[in-house]
Amino acid sequence: MTVSPLDAGVPAATATAEPSLWLKFWRRNGAGYGFLLPWLIGFFGLTIGPALISLYLSFTDFNLLQAPSWVGDANYLRIFTADPKFLQALRVTFFFVVFSVPLKLAFALAVAMLLNRGLKGLPIYRAIFYLPSLLGASVAIAVLWRQLFSGDGLINRLLAMIGITGPSWISNPRYALSTLVLLSIWQFGSPMIIFLAGLRQIPRDVYEAAAIDGAGRGRQFWSITLPLLTPVVFFNAIIQTIDAFKSFTPAFIISSGTGNPINSTLFYTLYLYQEAFGFFRMGYAAALAWILLIIIAVFTGISFLTSRYWVHYDD
Amino acid sequence: MSFRIDRRNFLMGSSAVLAAGAVGLRPAFADDVNLRQIFWGSKARADRTNGVNDLFIKANPATKIATEFYAWNDYWPKLATMTGGGNAPDIIQMDYRYIVEYANRQAIAPLDAFVGKEIDLHDFDQDQIDGGKVGGKLFGISLGANSVASIVNTAAFKEAGVAVPDNNSTYDDLAAAGEAFKKANIRGGMKAFQDGSGVEPLLENWLRQQGKALYTADGKLGFDADDMVKWFKLWKDLRDAGAVVSPDDQALDTGPLDQTMVVLGKAAVTFANSNQLVAFQALMKDPATIAAFPRMAKGSKGGHYRKPSMFWSVANASKLQSDSAKYLSFFINDIGANKVLGVERGIPAAAAVRQAIAPGLSAQDQVALNFVSNLGDLLGPIPPPPPSNAGEIDIDLLLKKSQEIAFGQQSPEDGGPDFVKQANDILARKG
Repeated sequence: MTVSPLDAGVPAATATAEPSLWLKFWRRNGAGYGFLLPWLIGFFGLTIGPALISLYLSFTDFNLLQAPSWVGDANYLRIFTADPKFLQALRVTFFFVVFSVPLKLAFALAVAMLLNRGLKGLPIYRAIFYLPSLLGASVAIAVLWRQLFSGDGLINRLLAMIGITGPSWISNPRYALSTLVLLSIWQFGSPMIIFLAGLRQIPRDVYEAAAIDGAGRGRQFWSITLPLLTPVVFFNAIIQTIDAFKSFTPAFIISSGTGNPINSTLFYTLYLYQEAFGFFRMGYAAALAWILLIIIAVFTGISFLTSRYWVHYDD
Repeated sequence: MSFRIDRRNFLMGSSAVLAAGAVGLRPAFADDVNLRQIFWGSKARADRTNGVNDLFIKANPATKIATEFYAWNDYWPKLATMTGGGNAPDIIQMDYRYIVEYANRQAIAPLDAFVGKEIDLHDFDQDQIDGGKVGGKLFGISLGANSVASIVNTAAFKEAGVAVPDNNSTYDDLAAAGEAFKKANIRGGMKAFQDGSGVEPLLENWLRQQGKALYTADGKLGFDADDMVKWFKLWKDLRDAGAVVSPDDQALDTGPLDQTMVVLGKAAVTFANSNQLVAFQALMKDPATIAAFPRMAKGSKGGHYRKPSMFWSVANASKLQSDSAKYLSFFINDIGANKVLGVERGIPAAAAVRQAIAPGLSAQDQVALNFVSNLGDLLGPIPPPPPSNAGEIDIDLLLKKSQEIAFGQQSPEDGGPDFVKQANDILARKG
């Protein structure tokens, strides 16, 4: 075996020059890491550290008042074999993700295309449509939603004018979750802004060429707009899916944290919160949190794996 | 001075503290006593508490009291987090449901050593002292006795032409009143009563009238599946007859007082506690009064009990236990302080205080005082504190099971045994 001069030289060099290598590294990157330090401290102290502790806690019984006691896989075992509320929380959350994400994206895209037709006062419309997203996760909006959709709220009064007696949307187990899906769709602002930016990237001449070839509006949408927009759709879908899995505030406010009626709005995060801060089972809640992390990771992973078949990155 | 924290001025306060720290001010001196206090309740309760604190500080000028208060639902997570973090306030408002847990986990301190010295209990009602004991030691000083009670909208009953419920009303009277309200059809179909099937104190009251209990002394269920079938059936019949509010309306009630049926105007009666009359009235336009929970039949008795509505406890980790004990004694014995407090936390347990404040009470406070003092044959012995995990059965399981039955997803015959099975599962759970 011939040894190339380069290979032969390296061990000798590192053995003698290690301190100077470090020094070189430090001279080159020291200032950079110095500037990064606040973030690094935050990342290790406030993100990685607590996350690892929560991983440890997920294998314990911990009620906040007494030291955690190790129980092995008992929490996970119970979650997967004997916890009907876990299944209910999954059902509610998946329903929410499956309906709210595509509908929200479709709505956001539709409004973005409408705004992209070069109408006057675009910044004002854009701001107005974005407004609900700014207020979106806030307590005030959830309280407002509660007022709108309660038995004698505004929605039912409007329905009454055309002779329909509406149910109490938020307190009827058949409609409560759909009402929350609607609330989420209404907050279409941030994907809309991103779609709008994406639409502006599509060159005009492609549409002109298509028009000359006789393509109608529908044809142009399916063959030009959508394919060229797929990277943006992909980005929006990932962000919105993760957000939907983590959705908490609206359900918490509308049911005062109970997941009522009959657990029909028991979002996964709400169940996690109940176990942790309602019933002080911190260990169990930590286990639930790690399972949610894995679910989100799997979904994101699948999205990335399938993306090569439908996302076009040809610049 | 006393300074107060609520969520609104917390930010302002904390930035002021930062600013003070930045310019090197020293807001505290070494010989100052800085007490920290935490409680749950409404603005009305906070105002009264702060009034007492001002009086206490006037009598003890070296003292400062920092106060935090929260709504019931937010209070327990907050307290548990503070206690877990070794940062519990000195003076802690405690509830009958939690005192065993906090005492057994050594989060609150036994107060026996202070009794007769810092804490004066010489004319304190014995049942209120006993209510604050865990394992024979005193862990909480009762802030007043209360009892469960129906909050009654008297104007609505007059409008419907139905006799206002009193301490002798029965479940049959309830059904009759429901029928009469239906016929009268006042205020867009207001019902006589809320749906009580998910109200744990009402279930307990009903069980106690039959000589049973929610929980036995050793922390097991004090009733069986048949009892629950009967209970759910009782309410199903009332619901089907239109005597109580619809399931849709009842589900609007998720806990806070402003979402109860009597405040929303959906029903003329909500089941609550005697000391809450003050708080309910503050939210209602119509005049309100209180009455006992319904009797199963004429003459059936013993469902009610006088319970300590809440306690002051002292944190085990507190370095100011004897100062805290002094504050507790002032709170329960000082006449001036109790004139500020009224009966908002319950009927004072010290006899001298009760006599001194009675003449100055508002008409409604008098009603609450008289109600708790004159329960007569309705009064039974106080049950043992509920076991740990019982809270989940109350706020989660019973409520949801009652909804499943109300919305027709399950029959009372299936719901009863199902409830007992799941309740036993919850009680058996450790983590």
